[in-house]
Amino acid sequence: MKHEHVALREPPAPPTRSIGERTPLVDGIDKVSGRARYTADLPAVGALVGRIGRSTVAHGLIRGIDARAARALPGVHAVVTGEDFAAPYGVIPIAQNEWPLARDKVRYRGEPLFAVAAVDAATAEAALAAVVVDIEELPAYFTPESARAGAAVLLHENKPGNIERQVEQDFGDVDAGFAAADLVLEREFDCAEISHGQIELNSTLAQWEPERGMLTVHSVTQVPYYLHLTLAQTLGLDSARIRVVKPFVGGGFGHRVEPLNFEMVAAALARAAGGVVRLELTREEGLITHRARPAQRSRVRIGMKASGEITALEAEVVQRGGAYAGYGLVTILYAGALLHALYRLGAVRYRGFRVYVNLPPCGAMRGHGAVNVRFAVESLIDEMAGRLGLDPFVVRRANLIGPLPHRTLNDLQVNSYGLPQCLDAVEAASGWQLRRGRLPAPPGVRRGMGMACSHYVSGSAKPVHWSGEPHAVIHLKLDFDGGITILTGASDIGQGSNTLLTQVVAEVLLLPMSRIRVVATDSALTPKDNGSYSSRVSFMVGNAALRAAENLRQVLVEAAARRLGVDPGEIEWAGESCGVIGTDRVLDFAQCVQAALVDTGTLMVKGTWSTPPETQGGKFRGAAVGSTAGFSYGAVVAQVAVDEDTGLVTVEQIWAAHDCGRAINPLAVEGQVQGAVWMGMGQALSEQTQHHEGLPLRANLLDYRIPTIAESPPIHVTLVESIDPLGPFGAKEASEGGLHAVPPAIAAAIHDALGLRLAETPFTPDKVLDALHARRREQKLAAARRARQAAAAPGAPGAPAIAEHSED
Amino acid sequence: MQGLPVLRVQRPTSAAEAVALLAAEPAARLIAGGTDLIPNLRRGLERPPLLVDLSAIADLDGMAFGDDGGCTLGAGVTLATLAADARIRARVAPLADAAQAAAGPGHRSAATLGGNLCQDTRCMFYNQGAWWRQANAYCLKRDGDTCHVAPQGGRCHAAFCSDLAPVLLALGSRVTLQSPRGNRTLALQDLYRDDGAAHLTREADELLTAVHIDAPAASQRSACRKARSRGAMDFPLAAVAVSLALVDGRLSRLRVGVAGTNAFALLLQGTDELLGLPVDDALVARVGKLVQQQVTPMRSTVTPANYRRQVAATLAQRLVRELAA
Repeated sequence: MKHEHVALREPPAPPTRSIGERTPLVDGIDKVSGRARYTADLPAVGALVGRIGRSTVAHGLIRGIDARAARALPGVHAVVTGEDFAAPYGVIPIAQNEWPLARDKVRYRGEPLFAVAAVDAATAEAALAAVVVDIEELPAYFTPESARAGAAVLLHENKPGNIERQVEQDFGDVDAGFAAADLVLEREFDCAEISHGQIELNSTLAQWEPERGMLTVHSVTQVPYYLHLTLAQTLGLDSARIRVVKPFVGGGFGHRVEPLNFEMVAAALARAAGGVVRLELTREEGLITHRARPAQRSRVRIGMKASGEITALEAEVVQRGGAYAGYGLVTILYAGALLHALYRLGAVRYRGFRVYVNLPPCGAMRGHGAVNVRFAVESLIDEMAGRLGLDPFVVRRANLIGPLPHRTLNDLQVNSYGLPQCLDAVEAASGWQLRRGRLPAPPGVRRGMGMACSHYVSGSAKPVHWSGEPHAVIHLKLDFDGGITILTGASDIGQGSNTLLTQVVAEVLLLPMSRIRVVATDSALTPKDNGSYSSRVSFMVGNAALRAAENLRQVLVEAAARRLGVDPGEIEWAGESCGVIGTDRVLDFAQCVQAALVDTGTLMVKGTWSTPPETQGGKFRGAAVGSTAGFSYGAVVAQVAVDEDTGLVTVEQIWAAHDCGRAINPLAVEGQVQGAVWMGMGQALSEQTQHHEGLPLRANLLDYRIPTIAESPPIHVTLVESIDPLGPFGAKEASEGGLHAVPPAIAAAIHDALGLRLAETPFTPDKVLDALHARRREQKLAAARRARQAAAAPGAPGAPAIAEHSED
Repeated sequence: MQGLPVLRVQRPTSAAEAVALLAAEPAARLIAGGTDLIPNLRRGLERPPLLVDLSAIADLDGMAFGDDGGCTLGAGVTLATLAADARIRARVAPLADAAQAAAGPGHRSAATLGGNLCQDTRCMFYNQGAWWRQANAYCLKRDGDTCHVAPQGGRCHAAFCSDLAPVLLALGSRVTLQSPRGNRTLALQDLYRDDGAAHLTREADELLTAVHIDAPAASQRSACRKARSRGAMDFPLAAVAVSLALVDGRLSRLRVGVAGTNAFALLLQGTDELLGLPVDDALVARVGKLVQQQVTPMRSTVTPANYRRQVAATLAQRLVRELAA
């Protein structure tokens, strides 16, 4: 059909700008209205009910699993054990030591041992109870100290001393740095283990088509592509026979950044049963699956000049990693790598120990690897600032990075650096200079303010799987209807990536977002994407979307030029219309699309992005971890009130400034920063796991104390736009880097209020009260000593009284 | 938490019918709001042969207010009503405060006064899933023979965590229990006994139908306070209520109720010895000492027991000071 160019009946809409607009999430209405389907909502007629049988033993040799009685029960369609899998798995290719169901050995209480699929829940429960397990118990270790002791039985035969990974890194002359310092202080800090607390329960729907040998899995994952690979590996299946779909996901925070055992178990059950299996985990099971932030002891030593300049930094970190590798070696490397790139440091020494113990495996969690060590470093900087009589802001400003690009001691590249502006922003917004030390408080209450800084990566510059492929690929489909479909493997887990990609494509094409829809995370339709972790999506997938949209615009401009009989360079692109520059010869978008589809039909245009080599880190062992194309920066001021009689800490206000490079969607960025601050507050105040002989005592959301809205203070967010040279429109990460500064800022505020340094998270009321009572006892003892001395030396002048707020 | 097991439920339309059902099936459980019972059922803590649903009984949620300032509240009144009703707020404000401090809005809209007073005791070794308790060889309270809180002892140390009971104890409330044998009314403290595994003196065929709150004494002042980790959701680490009156600056009444620390709702003993004394630092110290002596928090929560002891005393002292001021 031939279309004649005719004058437009109505003037086309003007170009639409989308970047920098406060844009509600494109799928927000679906979520708040209940239309969005999560994995557990997916209809599956006739699906069998899956259940997992878990080890009651913390450490032991599996002598036998007798499932004959369970299999004989009417309505039981499958029972699977570790023997039904072809290979172990693990998200890091060099550390794959976990079976979806334990094989030969169990290593933590709650580890999946066997699984059943039955016609209904009651039958599945009966089947679980009918399985007989014979385990020979071994000594179990719940602390790094006991696991590292000489005679300890090894959890994994190839890991002597139960050390999963030991890291030794030295950059610069550390000893000379300490020698040149005016003040050297060393302190030890402890962080309790925490969990993600994502609200959506774990769930997988697995469908096996026995006639074709095909597997389709819908799951709650953040990494559908890794899940795809892992299903193929553990089930011994050709990856071409697998389809993985990620429906709406109700929160990730890192719980789902590695393929999880229940996902493979559901698939194995479906295959064994020859049908469809729905496996839903309880909250308790989710918190046993765990993979979150490990308990960590950090010993930190800092050398500082009287000016506040840091001459040397030394950190020794011991992480209680749990029973399997998971992301563990990355976590222990991150803790060392991200000592760098926030401040200019004279020299750095890092010793890291990731230890296996008989507890649920730890993994990645928002702020991966760097949160606990940042708490230690920032807390010590705050104390040293006090010792040197310096304002904490002054100390930070004495150690700023520059000029750009800056190469850190450990070969990381800083291309943009908004920390100075973040410091200025929170100092001004919080009224730091005027209000700190002058906050009024009623009797029995003390108020204080504290600050800290942080940073984080925008994706890991070196890919986990070294395949030579780009880091990110986006397909854009344009068809007769004039609608553009973004096909992406990027996992929107609530952080808003579907919205961001829509904005990026809309901006490049100057089109309204209503022309654009997103189809995401279905391996049968969408290009592979590594997943939502390390804050990689905005930067990497955003860049791919930017390039895809540019390529599509080029195709459209060339088609318009052909239709109008001019060179492409003479075409001015204006979104809903384009025309010959300086004339009234114009095509509307529909006409332009028609022109572009001539002879080719439906258009598929792609864009890709890879990190430049200079951002991929150095050559030493472990150098890939921490490397990134763009660091975000942040500063936080916290104001707290502490009840001296109950020990209760109330965070009254938080001011957070975040350098996100460019706020593609300021509304979403503010939400992400607030979320990060809030999670940091949870770790600081109330969240922790706790175990009784390896059994999780807080495996429910009543005892695993995520803050409620009642504890949530006003969080004042300032966005700093440093316009990163590599980020899409200058953007960098926004979801993680705001977290790290919160626990140390709250600790500093508590110190400002009470004169007490708390070195162990969370700062629960009982710990605060214990610290207050301990100080009171010390003061009484000191007073008694002085009285005795005075009595022994009559006539001597009395010793000065201890000031209530003495600097430590 | 798994789904509910298959259950038999009956829905009587009168209290008489309800207690007849209880008499016929002594292992039956009553259910009103279900906020306490349902999680326990879903965790497999109980497998009652019958649930007697109280939601169709007329008048169980009635409220009667006397001219003298006293009132009678039906056991089926919800916590949300207690928190929001203007007449409750005007006459027994601490009860409204205590109701407002319980759990979250969703729970309060379903949870009832009677259910709150008859709720099960709680322990971190008890309120766990079926697999968990099996892995820990169960416990003395249910299915096992060892109390993991105090393995050497022979009794259950689960704590009674009602938010409302301390206020009602401090106010001197009474409760009415109905059975096929008739009604009996007893002081609230007599509803409880010091045994975490069997903390209610209620007979198997009895239904708590009403709570009676007497008219306040002259110049009586009452208030409550709750210690908890978070500002919502949490059960009390210690819930404390104080009711006192002063005559010429000297105590003429002092009643202190505490929950969250013992296996029962504690009405503080020995307060009569403080009557006639002025509220000064010495008296406040004695109140704190009485609380410290009589609360018996054990390692039944993830929060250390010693903290619960200290904070119970602190809250009682604060309340006495504030009410006497």
